[in-house]
Amino acid sequence: MPQPLSAKDQTNFRNVVRAYEDKQYKRGLKTADSILKKNPKHGDTMAMKALILNGQLKTDEAFALAKEALSADFKSHICWHVYGLLYRAVTNFEEAIKAYKMALRFEPESAQIQRDLAILQIQMRDYQGYIQSRQAMLQARPGFRQSWTALAIAHHLAGDLAEAENVLSTYEGTLKSKPSRYDLEHSEAVMYKNSLIAEQGDYQRALEHLEEAAKQNLDRLAVMECRAEYLAKLGRREEAASAYRALIERNPDLQIYYEKLVEVLGISEDNTSERKAVYDEYASKFPRCDTAKRVPLDFLQGSEFRAAAEAYLTLMLNKGVPSTFANLKHLYADEFKKNTLRELAEEYVKSEGIDKESKDKGEAAGLFYLAQHYNYYMSRDLDKSLDYVEKTIEKDPKSVDYHMTKARIFKHQGDLSKASEMMDHARKLDLKDRYINSKAAKYQLRNNENERALKTVGLFTRQDTVGGPMADLLDMQCVWFLTEDGEAYARQGNVAMALKRFQAVATIFDTWQEDQFDFHSFSLRKGQIRAYIDMMRWEDHIRDHPFYSRAALAAIQVYLKLADKPSSNGVNGNGEDEDEALAKKKAAKKAKKEQQRMEREAAEKQAKQDPNKGTKTDDEPKKKDEDPMGLKLAATEDPLGEAIKLLEPLLEVCPKSIEAQHAGFEVYIRRQKHLLALRCLKAAANIDAESPRVHEQTIALRHALNGATDVPDKVAQVLKEEFNLIPASANLQETNDHFLAQHKDSPEHVLAAIRAKKILGEDRKSTDKQVIEMLDLPKTRYNDAISALQTLQQWRSPEEDAFKKAAQAKFPGATRFS
Amino acid sequence: MDIRLLTNADLPLIQHANLENLPENYFLKYYLYHSLSWPQLSFVAVDVSRPKKGPYDYPKIVGYVLAKMEEEPSDGVPHGHITSLSVMRTHRKLGIAEKLMRQSQLAMVETYQAKYVSLHVRVSNVAARHLYENTLGFTNEKVESKYYADKEDAFSMRLNLDEIKKQIEAGEKNGDAEEDKEHEDEGDAVGEVGKDPGQTAEGKQIKIALGKRPALGVGDLVEKDDSK
Ligand SMILES: CC(C)(COP(=O)(O)OP(=O)(O)OC[C@H]1O[C@@H](n2cnc3c(N)ncnc32)[C@H](O)[C@@H]1OP(=O)(O)O)[C@@H](O)C(=O)NCCC(=O)NCCS
Repeated sequence: MPQPLSAKDQTNFRNVVRAYEDKQYKRGLKTADSILKKNPKHGDTMAMKALILNGQLKTDEAFALAKEALSADFKSHICWHVYGLLYRAVTNFEEAIKAYKMALRFEPESAQIQRDLAILQIQMRDYQGYIQSRQAMLQARPGFRQSWTALAIAHHLAGDLAEAENVLSTYEGTLKSKPSRYDLEHSEAVMYKNSLIAEQGDYQRALEHLEEAAKQNLDRLAVMECRAEYLAKLGRREEAASAYRALIERNPDLQIYYEKLVEVLGISEDNTSERKAVYDEYASKFPRCDTAKRVPLDFLQGSEFRAAAEAYLTLMLNKGVPSTFANLKHLYADEFKKNTLRELAEEYVKSEGIDKESKDKGEAAGLFYLAQHYNYYMSRDLDKSLDYVEKTIEKDPKSVDYHMTKARIFKHQGDLSKASEMMDHARKLDLKDRYINSKAAKYQLRNNENERALKTVGLFTRQDTVGGPMADLLDMQCVWFLTEDGEAYARQGNVAMALKRFQAVATIFDTWQEDQFDFHSFSLRKGQIRAYIDMMRWEDHIRDHPFYSRAALAAIQVYLKLADKPSSNGVNGNGEDEDEALAKKKAAKKAKKEQQRMEREAAEKQAKQDPNKGTKTDDEPKKKDEDPMGLKLAATEDPLGEAIKLLEPLLEVCPKSIEAQHAGFEVYIRRQKHLLALRCLKAAANIDAESPRVHEQTIALRHALNGATDVPDKVAQVLKEEFNLIPASANLQETNDHFLAQHKDSPEHVLAAIRAKKILGEDRKSTDKQVIEMLDLPKTRYNDAISALQTLQQWRSPEEDAFKKAAQAKFPGATRFS
Repeated sequence: MDIRLLTNADLPLIQHANLENLPENYFLKYYLYHSLSWPQLSFVAVDVSRPKKGPYDYPKIVGYVLAKMEEEPSDGVPHGHITSLSVMRTHRKLGIAEKLMRQSQLAMVETYQAKYVSLHVRVSNVAARHLYENTLGFTNEKVESKYYADKEDAFSMRLNLDEIKKQIEAGEKNGDAEEDKEHEDEGDAVGEVGKDPGQTAEGKQIKIALGKRPALGVGDLVEKDDSK
């Protein structure tokens, strides 16, 4: 039973609530304690105190107290609500939902709890729960459009489009007068409803609705695009054609409009001259439009292509548009087009009528095009490329773009150190441009110059951020730098810092996922429903972004390395461990210094602050990074467990990524999760059966199973049925030798076969030697050599230096082998 | 290059472009705040000719304009504001910035009846000033001294959108000139991003504390009227 409070303490209790809301945590705690002194078992006060403790980031204490509060007053909705809020704060939304539901049981009328519950449900994609909550909320407040829209959204996201439309129509039926033309919420509601009709596939009705209800809609572009689409879908071609023409007039730089127009005009794929005529019409009508001029190059062939390409190239080079090559390089997949473009550019630079004096137009632009041409991987000849770029630099010794390309050529030669210097030179030619600054920093990172790169980007990060440039990059979620920085650390064997950076990227994605939270209610108030739906759909697969997969895969590689490490208790002790121990010690020392520096800066910063200002946030503590150098991350006892945390979301949203499946296999096989490993292996084989990694992993799994003694019967049964990439009775050595013989010219396959040999227990000396010999294959390229080096590093081979020497001989100037 | 409306899935690469090109940066939630408040106003330039890199490739953003309506215009006149505009160096001088701006300006008038659009530009930014002043016709309203974090001055510029309005009206065949009362923008700020996190009211850059977890906000225990 709850303790009744005296009138005075009731007032005090309200003060506690207010103090909490105003973030006056100290005052709130004091008042709460004064109530609890007289009423030690007052659940609501304990709950409020818990909430305040949580605000001070004393999470454990807060949870303990909230539990006590509940045992003191199990039926208090406040106690349950607070319990839910605490869970919400640690993003354990499932538990939070349970707590809110309890709170609601004891206070069914509370709109606040209902709303908090609803938001969590939709955040968790509990569509049925969300529908229920929204129905309850609609019943409580049927007079508000938002209540109806929200219920429609709930049905829509749950997949019931018809019911969603129905709800919107019901509300419209209650409207007494036609809303104003400038009623934004109404305008959007109409378009939202229209999108629901179209999504059901009923384009006829969608069109009718559009023409009737959206005549004066405020979102003109959406109306025009929908109309064109529906007309096309309905086969009303003439009208569709004029609708697409209207769109092109509005924005001539959107390729899909032209394609649709061509389609509804009934022009067939191979009728290139009529297709070209459509583009030509707009090219002459809109001289500043690039799309109309460029797209025909995609479909024209032979002499028609040549003529069009010449016109385009001449125009662009005469103008000196630096992105000309970027606009054309996709055509290089076609051998003829690739050669034609090169010929045209070569003819252009030799022709008479062009500007020979300009720094960036005419001849200079043509030479620049050719430099990029020979630098591109499909038409690479780096010596020629360098030649051309030197000529452009003669035209303009201060050009950022030319020097940028020169740096890129060095990078492709493998000389990362020269590339880094050249890019930095380009940066100095335009100190005000952040783009070139970013590029210089990126090249420094490729050359493992972490500190220098941070200094470089630090020229553009905010000077007043406590913690320096890195803190600003973290605040601003600068994923590219974190990833490149982490990769550079990983290359140098600095596990701690590598993990620190990769985990920072993972955390950014957590934040992006959480960012939705506020918008579940915000978007209802703003009324921009289609945009909200678009956000929800994107958030559903947010981690399929290359930003995530790149960092996650890199982190998983580091964790695998940690997992493979001979135990550090000296059992497998060899010389390398001493080196590593020393490196660790050094890193720890540096970490400590760095941490001290950051603390000092923070203190200074605080000291400089006007004490009369900012009292409001005084009470609000900022969470401090307890592990700025990643030492705790590197010291993990369970590297595979950490890897799995990054892996699972990846496999969920990127099942078609072969890299993800390969990584998944490596993690699971080390965990002896044979079924999960098999699932990854099969998925990888489905994506690319010829992948050398698939071969290697097939051997690895079969070998592991042959040696495994404790596979549960059920698992063994499933494996027997499902693992048919290689027969259980196969002689693995022979299979592997056969594979090697079959692919003896392909460096990638050879490496995979050598790795498989190692798995099968072949002598280390022999496998190391074979890796070095792989360099002699005629087809071995720079990237293959890097993979080979990584293999030796993974094996902790004593032959690493010998390999580097041999690789250096083959790739002179390549920094990674020096 | 395609010029098209921004979608939410573009946001990570828009943020990336911003971080590559400009010193004024924002966390993703601030981009979301734009795309969910004024989804008609922000546009991107996409490199459509780039070959796809694997099954999970996102369209490569080479330029963007991030725009909004002023939430509480001090002059009471509805107007748009350019929060950020940039184009990757590899794609500059192709007319991309101009096209992005024009699309945004058109939507400002159509959807929100904006009377003008405003923006800030560094006094030393030659390329941007040429674009705004010469190509688009903005005029300088005033100098905001030490506006930027590094103390550089800003020009506060604006462009009257009457011209666009006239064009739209001329284009409207059945000129249904039903003039209603000005609509009101009733949205509340979203947590900490309701305001430009980089700038105070006076436009000076400030630092925003970004705790990992949002402090349980004021009002989490207070009844909030959904209808407001
Ligand atoms: C400013 C910026 C957005 C211009 O982008 P863009 O796509 O190259 O611009 P456009 O091609 O549309 O050019 C528009 C006009 O500006 C001119 N211009 C572009 N770059 C110029 C430069 N460096 N110097 C002088 N004029 C320039 C163009 O010639 C064109 O003029 P015109 O209409 O007389 O022919 C781009 O340079 C950029 O991203 N800079 C870095 C970020 C930045 O400064 N953003 C603006 C912040 S307010």
